[in-house]
Amino acid sequence: MGAITIKNLKKIYPKIEALKGISLSIQKGEFFGLLGPNGAGKTTTIHILTGLANKTSGDVMLFGKDIEEDYKEARALIGLVPQEFNFDQFEKVYNILYFASGYFGISSNLRKVRIEKVLRELGLWEKKDMKAITLSGGMKRKLMIARALIHQPKILILDEPTAGVDVETRKSIWKFIRKLNQEGVTILLTTHYLEEAEELCERIAIINHGEIITLDSKNNLLKLLEGERLCLTLKEEIKIPANLKKYNVVLNGKIMTIALDSKKDHWETVLADIQGLPIEKMETQKNKLEDVFIHLTNE
Amino acid sequence: MSNLTGMWTLAQREISRFLRVWQQTIIPPIITSTLFILIFGYSLGSRIKMVGGIGYLEFIIPGLLMMGVIMSAYMNTSSSLFISKFQKNIQEVLVSPLAYWQVIAALTLAAVLRALLVGIGILIVSFLFANLVVGNIFILLYFIIMVSIIFAFAGIATALWATSFDKMNVFATFLITPLTYLGGVFFSVQMLPPMWQNFAKFNPILYMVDGFRYGFIGTSDVNIWYSVILVFLLVVGFGALCVHLFKIGYKLRD
Repeated sequence: MGAITIKNLKKIYPKIEALKGISLSIQKGEFFGLLGPNGAGKTTTIHILTGLANKTSGDVMLFGKDIEEDYKEARALIGLVPQEFNFDQFEKVYNILYFASGYFGISSNLRKVRIEKVLRELGLWEKKDMKAITLSGGMKRKLMIARALIHQPKILILDEPTAGVDVETRKSIWKFIRKLNQEGVTILLTTHYLEEAEELCERIAIINHGEIITLDSKNNLLKLLEGERLCLTLKEEIKIPANLKKYNVVLNGKIMTIALDSKKDHWETVLADIQGLPIEKMETQKNKLEDVFIHLTNE
Repeated sequence: MSNLTGMWTLAQREISRFLRVWQQTIIPPIITSTLFILIFGYSLGSRIKMVGGIGYLEFIIPGLLMMGVIMSAYMNTSSSLFISKFQKNIQEVLVSPLAYWQVIAALTLAAVLRALLVGIGILIVSFLFANLVVGNIFILLYFIIMVSIIFAFAGIATALWATSFDKMNVFATFLITPLTYLGGVFFSVQMLPPMWQNFAKFNPILYMVDGFRYGFIGTSDVNIWYSVILVFLLVVGFGALCVHLFKIGYKLRD
């Protein structure tokens, strides 16, 4: 039984078809990434899974529970970290978690234990009596993660969990959710930071204009664009020489990037072709998920 | 899955919300009613003849009490739910395993409690100024609780429908307030000309005020059973409407 099973899911708004019949299956314990440009349908998908949007048609099951027929059971399985802050900003951190966990039917005594545990794990225990509005952006993100975990869900859905946080906080959030995944929590992540997906996800679906355009393991996706890039820093600005036009060359001031296809471009030829250029520095870069993303979405 | 803990938690949150700002939620309707009692009942009332065999002050107090109850119940659910929608923290409830009826019941429970506190406050003030006698405690409790529930439900429906603060005020300003003032709070419907009496009978608040007054004085303008049944039907009707609106996610879910 899949943790999340989506079959032919459609969402039609009055003026736009946000989801055009997507299907995907996420296994228990998987760390799954859903990527796509703005307006691709990522958040719509998440909102349907969590009860924040109605589907137009199709089937969605969470561990075999239908999100409409068995909505209470299905929602008990999910923890959501939404994109926007959606807690009462004037409420104390502790109370936000106290009430949120209560909605999931957790007894008052157990709530106290869990709140302390999750706040300590996320480094927020000292802030428990502060109003949410006084927290920094990173702390607010952590508070939303704490809230999503307080009922110990089997599935954690993170919609842009590190948007607007500093590098250190981002890394600590990564570490935390990776640990959760290792403990068996199925994770569905959407992010704009492709580095984040590359770092964390095992399988990735790329969605664009309401359709899944590719779904594969991260490693297979990275192989889609086999090859490397040669980055040259030039001593002076030049025009692209005629003998380099057979390559995919991007020139930005004194920075020249040559995309190499490992199947047809050979290093000896490339090195011969760049001889004579006023090179100050030279380095090679492996393809990143970002390149695959741009290649597939043509953004 | 029965999630009574969840329902009670939401009710607790709503109760703590209005109690935290009791100066804004409990005291103002009591002050307003006290002013009405002083001006209309105590001052002007002495120049008005008895209505239906009782003093004018004793006549208006049940209506004033019902006015406070109606507005308190309505304001509690409508403002709380609308602000939750506006701030998006209603999503905390929407993603939880609470049944739709449980969400409505929790919001309503808090609204009824606020209305009862306001009602008790007005009642205490009333006892200071008037010779009130409680005729039928069961009728009083029936009307005060059922009317609170009706307007708590109405507040929920309004908050779901409204997309701006302006729209939020439309029902309170243009429907509930006029219907309350025209609902026999300050006059007996029998004082009206025959044509206006017929019009007045289309006003549901008339039956609420009249039924509630029956609990004090033991007589009513309209048959008490009509009022009892109408109030019951309104509870069922508004309740069904609210559950339906939550089920389809009316202006709650995309």
